[in-house]
Amino acid sequence: MKFTKELVDNLADKLLIGLTEEENKLVLDEFDIIDQNMELITKIPDIDDVEPMTHTLDDFEYELRSDEKEESIPIEKLLQNCKSHEGREIEVPKIVG
Amino acid sequence: MMYMNKTIEELHDLLINDKVTPEELVDESLKLSKEVQDKCNAFVTIIDKPKIMPVSENMLSGIPFGIKDNYSTEGILSTGSSNTLKDYVPFYTATAVQNLEKCGAIAINKTALDEFGMGGTGTTCHTGTVRNPWNLKRMCAGSSSGSAAAVAAGVYPFALGSDTGDSIRKPAAYCGIVGYKPTYGMISRYGLFPFASSLDHCGCLTRSVKDAAIVVDAMKGIDKNDQTSWDSSNMHLYESIDGKVKGKKLFYIKNVVDLDYYQNPTDEFVSHINNFHKTIEILEKCGVTVEGIEIDRNLLNAIPSVYVCLSCAEATSNMSNLTGIIFGPRGNGENINEMMKDHRTKGFSPLIKRRFVIGSYILQKENQEKYFVNAQRVRRLIVDKMKELFKTYDGLIMPVGTGIAPFLDNPKDSVSNDDVSVLEEHLQIGNFGGFPSITIPDGFIDDMPVGINITGNCYDDINVLNIAYALEREMPYKNQIAKEVEK
Repeated sequence: MKFTKELVDNLADKLLIGLTEEENKLVLDEFDIIDQNMELITKIPDIDDVEPMTHTLDDFEYELRSDEKEESIPIEKLLQNCKSHEGREIEVPKIVG
Repeated sequence: MMYMNKTIEELHDLLINDKVTPEELVDESLKLSKEVQDKCNAFVTIIDKPKIMPVSENMLSGIPFGIKDNYSTEGILSTGSSNTLKDYVPFYTATAVQNLEKCGAIAINKTALDEFGMGGTGTTCHTGTVRNPWNLKRMCAGSSSGSAAAVAAGVYPFALGSDTGDSIRKPAAYCGIVGYKPTYGMISRYGLFPFASSLDHCGCLTRSVKDAAIVVDAMKGIDKNDQTSWDSSNMHLYESIDGKVKGKKLFYIKNVVDLDYYQNPTDEFVSHINNFHKTIEILEKCGVTVEGIEIDRNLLNAIPSVYVCLSCAEATSNMSNLTGIIFGPRGNGENINEMMKDHRTKGFSPLIKRRFVIGSYILQKENQEKYFVNAQRVRRLIVDKMKELFKTYDGLIMPVGTGIAPFLDNPKDSVSNDDVSVLEEHLQIGNFGGFPSITIPDGFIDDMPVGINITGNCYDDINVLNIAYALEREMPYKNQIAKEVEK
């Protein structure tokens, strides 16, 4: 069997997402159809030389904006979404050591 | 007197002649918001005290409007209809919203959507299901569900939407209103929560084509904060609409639209297709040539899969920043990975998790070339085919979906391998190519509205709007307000 409960859990785990039994089943039940649908892409012949389209507008030219000094965002505004801080310092999870 | 059932043009006329004040319009819109919230559950937030703006020569000054909740609004809750951002209050406003506010438009509420725009039913909002104001047992489609419901119910003349696959244009059809997404990059995406960046478009829902032009005229413009935006200052959409369409040429995809290609179609499906052909006749009477052309079925069949592949893969990457560390409620755990996983596990709904798992599958090393890169190649083939046809034709005209809004207890938001999937999903072509695309209402089946869509080549927005306007003028559905029917 190509698709298993373990495979689905593994794919979710790589994105740091946990699935309940029901959620896993929801995906697993549909994976065969999803895979069949994906195969429709491979039915288009002679596409190896087609340039993959990664952006909508082919005629688009990126322009770097000029290097001008701008006002930064006031700290008070940024702290509005932070539940645990002391003054300007935000409490973050311990990562090192 | 009721005002919110009027068009922007009519309201501006009343405002400028002192027949009504912005305060009166805001009061009415707030009252209607509460009524529509009770019936349709269309909003995440109704703004307590909207900032009243003075009336000026600008057509949008003093006009109430709604904002889809995946646009950042400074100081106002912006959730993307997701539990991962249920308390998020941004410190900046999206450029498109800012541009409208500069014109004097007044934000009334934030509308509910399928979580982060990743759905087509309006059933995956963290605040619950959005119901169709024409029939509360039916869906609005999505993801701009709340915006479509509110505009159709007459809460205000326009609301913002976003469109990655058909998220403006299909809800517009199911709710009997206008949904327009202009050429990719005409409106800055700065401040729009990203879903699939190469397919995401900003746009609007209105009840008339001219109103859609007025709104996008205001929203658009090059923005230093969105490198994909471009200068459209020489394009004046509203002023350019003249309804002169004699000699224009449109095509429809014959092997998707003709009934001969379907075995055992339902009565509803037959009515929908017949209604499309009746609408074509109206256009032909205006001097427009409409031709059915065939496109390689393999290429057409691949459209929904290319969309699923690219959108899920891009979304998986875009939403990797939703960790509960830099915003959103922080998860529990012994270390940072556990905390992020806890946040994401609890925050995302089952349907969005499904899309993430598909994205994860597609992006696995062994699948990348086979699925992801090949989907990008097929995307180009589809777009090239359209661009070739746009050399001969002014645009593509197609029915939206396969019929009327489905009942909520029978949603279609699951993968499908049936033969109607191309008709159901063809609006995705507009996102593949960044094409300007508009849906307008073109009739009723079983007392529920249906829509027709016109899509043109990049930068040809004026042509697309003009054809839509000419058609709208010949039909009785302009500025219709939802009349609740029980069935």
